[in-house]
Amino acid sequence: MNANSRTSALIEQRQSVHRFAERQGDYYSRQFEKIQSSNRITFSFNPHAALLGPLWASARNVWGFFWMSIIATLFALVLLGRGLWGELGADDLARAERLSSKSQEMAIKAQTALESGASNVEVLQRNADNLQRAADNAMLAAEAAVGGASQLIFWGALALIATMVIQGFMANIVYEMKYCRWRGGRSETSGFSQMNLLLGVVMLAVMVPLTLYRFTVATPVAWLIEFPTDTSIFTAAATWLDAGFDSIALKGAGFFNGITSGIRMLLDGLEVVLVDTPWPVTAMVILVMAWRLAGPRVALFTLAALAYLAFLGFWEKSMATVALLGAAATLCVLIGVPLGILCAKSPSTYAVARPVLDFMQTMPAFVYLIPIIAFFGTGKPPGILATLIFGMPPVVRLTALGIKQVPSTIVEAALAFGCTRRKLLLDVEIPLALPSIMTGVNQTILMCLSMVVIASLIGAEGLGTDVLQALQYAAKGQGLLAGIAILLCAMIIDRIVQGRFKRED
Amino acid sequence: MSADVIQLENVWKIFGKNSDQAMKAVVEEGLDKAAVLERFSCVVGIANVSFTVPRGEIFCIMGLSGSGKSTLIRHLNRLIEPTAGKIKVLGRDMSALSHNDLRDVRAKHIGMVFQHMALLPHRTVLDNVAFPLEVQGVPKAKRWETSQHALSLVNLDGFEDRLPKELSGGMQQRVGLARALASDPEVLLMDEPFSALDPLIRRELQNQFVTLTKTLQKTTIFITHDLDEAIRIGDRIAIMKDGHLIQVGTPEQIVMHPADDYVADFVKDISNLKLVCAHSIMRDINSETVPAGVNLADAPRVDENTNLDHLIDIAVTSELPIIITDAAGADIGIVSKNILLQGIKGEQ
Repeated sequence: MNANSRTSALIEQRQSVHRFAERQGDYYSRQFEKIQSSNRITFSFNPHAALLGPLWASARNVWGFFWMSIIATLFALVLLGRGLWGELGADDLARAERLSSKSQEMAIKAQTALESGASNVEVLQRNADNLQRAADNAMLAAEAAVGGASQLIFWGALALIATMVIQGFMANIVYEMKYCRWRGGRSETSGFSQMNLLLGVVMLAVMVPLTLYRFTVATPVAWLIEFPTDTSIFTAAATWLDAGFDSIALKGAGFFNGITSGIRMLLDGLEVVLVDTPWPVTAMVILVMAWRLAGPRVALFTLAALAYLAFLGFWEKSMATVALLGAAATLCVLIGVPLGILCAKSPSTYAVARPVLDFMQTMPAFVYLIPIIAFFGTGKPPGILATLIFGMPPVVRLTALGIKQVPSTIVEAALAFGCTRRKLLLDVEIPLALPSIMTGVNQTILMCLSMVVIASLIGAEGLGTDVLQALQYAAKGQGLLAGIAILLCAMIIDRIVQGRFKRED
Repeated sequence: MSADVIQLENVWKIFGKNSDQAMKAVVEEGLDKAAVLERFSCVVGIANVSFTVPRGEIFCIMGLSGSGKSTLIRHLNRLIEPTAGKIKVLGRDMSALSHNDLRDVRAKHIGMVFQHMALLPHRTVLDNVAFPLEVQGVPKAKRWETSQHALSLVNLDGFEDRLPKELSGGMQQRVGLARALASDPEVLLMDEPFSALDPLIRRELQNQFVTLTKTLQKTTIFITHDLDEAIRIGDRIAIMKDGHLIQVGTPEQIVMHPADDYVADFVKDISNLKLVCAHSIMRDINSETVPAGVNLADAPRVDENTNLDHLIDIAVTSELPIIITDAAGADIGIVSKNILLQGIKGEQ
């Protein structure tokens, strides 16, 4: 019974290996049985894979094997090629010729100097000798390189043989692993594919000759080294974009100015509160806020941080930075939260917004500083706009995520009790999404702070300016102190916001 | 207004992009579920379901997962729109209601309890129960008072100011029930309310629920996948399979006369002791040969609606066969021990 079921299992396996391999099923079922019968590494040599590794791999769809094999083969072939046909030492030879011709020039000059009785004969003679010696050295190196050819051939041949032996032994093991994956999930490809074989042949035909040519010939044709392109394409595109920016800036001047003045109003308000208020008042409000919202430990930390800012003379700049940050973060939340809700409610909006958000987050800040300057000029409002671009994505994303994560059962229950859309949003979805939204707000605040230094490049003054100056004059001490001040600002805000939130939990 | 609180007529629900075409094809060509999936890649959720539920009845819809019972109950308050057919609740054609009227009906006339409670985690128990009233715009004092009353109906006094997560599963579901009762709706929709609870608490809640709805005279649609539960609390039971209603009837009808093998398979393990009554198994008095020396006048007499369980109790204490009487007290049949045993085995 047991033996019977074992043989039937074996037959079944054979059939499935046949289905998997399509060609040479008998061979592979024998080899797989051998591999599977032992836990240790089994020696099973595949002559086809050994001789024609990359082609075997491509036909059998084992692409990982294909790449390893083709890289190893190419390496071995390049070594061999250089040894057999390479113009070895060509560089050194050319240098030797150059040097010796220069040395001869020197010698002639020395000769003429000697004849005319000039005083610099000795110097010239010494130069000529030095050059000749360098030329001789180069010549020796070139000869050595030529002599190294046989060594290259040896190593190349060794590498080629080793590659073949290794791929011969590895092939069946790798193929058996593929077979096991194929049995589990049918997404794995199987069989012998002539299309893939053709692809493998084409890739070999392109890769091997070109690579060999590149590495064996001393001066290959130029188009092989550098992509043959016309610089005018780039220039035209850049010019076209320049003109586009200029015309947009010109036509939309009213619009851009409107935005700028709007932001400036918000910023002015915040600055009056934070900067113009006498420092003891501001400090007290911040301390009490930290204490009430986040507890005594945060209050103590805040006190220490504020003392640092005050004693090192960063007070006003810190408050200006926080005002800048506050304006940016307020705008981020005001725009980002509704946008996030919209994204959660409408999949098509999200489909459009997602690449835009990715773009905003990935594009290096220095790149969009340029159009911002073009449209909005320099100063604090453009700095806030730049910060906005960088800081908004997290709050949009996390708001959308939070709203989407509200359990559908709860939404359904609310609707079943006759809830309106508005009440659903305000009393069910937003409260349930609040943890996620608050994480987004926190992220946004911290990201905005990290933008402060970059925004200072376009004239958004504050602590960032100090760091920027320190960078320009390599003032290490100033840079570090200002950097710590930025860090402390971030930490105070972060702790207070988070502390408030933890208490709510 | 008719006595039927809920009326469904030929209700269909087909899910998918081409549901209208699929519906047309179903009507014209009589396609079955598999063919609809094949041709239109649409899923038939509800297939031609009709039933009525009179006022005050507990109507259980029983079926396995995927049978369409949860889809069906969501049609009654139009959380899901039917593809075809007519649904009337309290005399109102649900499909014809405007959005505002629909919200009004949902808020005032239909209460719903969900399998996963679906309480608002950030609100206290009292505010959760008050939610339907809040939706209706009832002022705070009034809605708290009403909610307090609803909570005491489900024996949750003293838990008003807790958060849902501080309560056990059974208590949370009682909050769900209180919420459904808060606006005193005529209709209760129960979507597998006790399925997620452990057996002991489930039994307790079932009993509490039956008592409560009977005293409050609520018309109830009760979804369950557990036939025991359906038999315990349902006045009538509907068995669903693949979107079809296979059989509708009282628990006794279902157990005694299953409509097909599928239902029979379900009721196989159900004890009929509490369901089958003397009326169903008794024989004609004269047909039964009475052993000599037995005076039927001394035999115990019971009402025809006595169930088998009770008959057994009597038979154990008496040597004589049992005489069955009708409501007026007249002898209408006889049950001997043999007949009783056959009845317990389900043979007639």
